[in-house]
Amino acid sequence: MSLLKLTHLKVHFPTQDGIVKAVNTIDLDIEENGKVGLIGETGCGKTVLGLSIMRLLQPDTRIKGENVYKGRDLLKLSEEEMRKIRGKEIAMILQNPTTSLNPVLKVGDQIAEAIRLHQGLDKRAAKEKVVEMLAAVKIPSPEKRANEYPHEFSGGMRERVMIAMALACNPTLIIADEPTTGLDITIKMQIVRLMKEVTKQRSMLFITHDLDAAAEICDNIAVMYAGELVEYAKTEAIFKNPRHPYTQGFLNSLPNRGLKPIRGMSPSLIGIPNGCRFYPRCDHAEAACKIQHPEMVELGNGHFVRCLQYDRS
Amino acid sequence: MIEVKDLRKHFSSGILKKHSTKAVDGISFLMERGETLGLVGESGCGKTTIGRLLLRLLEPTSGKVIFDGIDLQQLKKAELRRLRPRMQMIFQDPDASLNPRMTIADSIAEPLKLWRKMGKSELKERVSELLEMVGLNPEHLNRYPYQLSGGQNQRVVFARVLALNPDFIVADEPTSSLDVSVQAQILNMMQELKKEFNLTVLFISHDLEVVRHISDRIAVMYRGKIVEMGNTKDVLGYGKHPYTNALVSPVVIEEDALLQGDMKPVNAFGCVFYPRCPFAAESCSKREPEMVEVEKGHWVLCDKI
Repeated sequence: MSLLKLTHLKVHFPTQDGIVKAVNTIDLDIEENGKVGLIGETGCGKTVLGLSIMRLLQPDTRIKGENVYKGRDLLKLSEEEMRKIRGKEIAMILQNPTTSLNPVLKVGDQIAEAIRLHQGLDKRAAKEKVVEMLAAVKIPSPEKRANEYPHEFSGGMRERVMIAMALACNPTLIIADEPTTGLDITIKMQIVRLMKEVTKQRSMLFITHDLDAAAEICDNIAVMYAGELVEYAKTEAIFKNPRHPYTQGFLNSLPNRGLKPIRGMSPSLIGIPNGCRFYPRCDHAEAACKIQHPEMVELGNGHFVRCLQYDRS
Repeated sequence: MIEVKDLRKHFSSGILKKHSTKAVDGISFLMERGETLGLVGESGCGKTTIGRLLLRLLEPTSGKVIFDGIDLQQLKKAELRRLRPRMQMIFQDPDASLNPRMTIADSIAEPLKLWRKMGKSELKERVSELLEMVGLNPEHLNRYPYQLSGGQNQRVVFARVLALNPDFIVADEPTSSLDVSVQAQILNMMQELKKEFNLTVLFISHDLEVVRHISDRIAVMYRGKIVEMGNTKDVLGYGKHPYTNALVSPVVIEEDALLQGDMKPVNAFGCVFYPRCPFAAESCSKREPEMVEVEKGHWVLCDKI
């Protein structure tokens, strides 16, 4: 069953230089207990998509489309109703724990904040819950660590705190924004393991540019390029049989797959041309690609791709 | 080309300077001309400190760095400065390495103005030549760093570094802030330039796959020590040290092989890797291991080998 359903979601920012079309007509389904990996390069709109689900963008942002969570369109809720969902139903693990944690508050108090707000527990009960959460993310001697400040934690431990904070109110859906970025490889594997374990009974949107981590955790992968999804399929299919030229190029540019770069650069999200957005960098481009914007087509078996090669309509 | 002998750098901290951090703790190695040595390890293991010591951007606590037969420690300031054009460094963040108020052309011309007496037209020609070498267009000349992408700025940094025809380059995580598709472009360019100019490169990175691609030899570092060193294919294919193997393991690692804990300080004796080592024995905490040559040119710092 679908837990979160994004339909024609658009997020545009008005700026001095023009409208930045950060997210363009995205359709995405997250099933109950499903884990979807959202993959793409810097500036493709991944983080904005995550933040727009949580409604955490500035008020002047133009958001269109539907964002239906458990039958309710989150975009139509009042701020007060949304506050009840944020942190409790849907929790977000923000990018970069070093800047996302408050440096002058004890770690335990930061985790307790959401617990007290949403669960109405008193100070002592909240504290017990905090220790329980820290233990759940495998932080050694949690009672002691709860009284420490973020600077006393290492990068990997801070990431664990972020995860504990997100889990504190037992959310149904977790949006994790690059939780493994900036961590050393041995620590990264520990965090990936932990994420996998704590999301066993939950749904997750896992935003990352780290394909290894996504492969380990997610059942489905959505590939994003210049504000739109270009491919969506089961994790295995994305790795074994990528169909979109961008996905293929992205995989081939990985050091362990030959380090073959994609020529050119990602386009600016202001004044995007009409045709296929990947057209200027694509090796398979034809004349039609410049004019016609391809639609997402299903190739069967839940494998969707946005490319004229496959679009025979 | 480069000879490093028992190099140490200890940073002291605290009011009484009682705490000392052994960032680099007794490291020795040789680098041949034209070779790329990959230096890998987790953050905080002392990789960057080695890079800086090699160029004498930091003063070592003890030990020697010999560059092309010249002992860097013996040099006076002016002598060292004269040597600088021959050894260059590329930093992690390209956007922070360029002066935001200088155009690309001025940035590339700066080292040439300092070191080479060139007429205006000659200078202009050389700058264009360098720009082309790193795959940028003349249209970029009058732009500022903020108008370029991270990958393009890193190309500008390469052009600056190559301007004075250096022999030796320390590249400190030159691609870690770039996207994978751009990273591949920069690494391929680096390989070509290296061949063309017969550069000797110390390539510092935490990404094993990148290092595998670019290095002739690899040194693996842990807490200030080199724990394994040898040809790329020996170290990554037939690694002997437990730490190397933990780094190399594919994505799906057995639970026991997954390293627990992080790089906490350890007691003064024994193996640096002892607290996290899955094969640690009692004796490892008491005796410091010594470098053993397991095959020709393949060295490992572990008592269990």
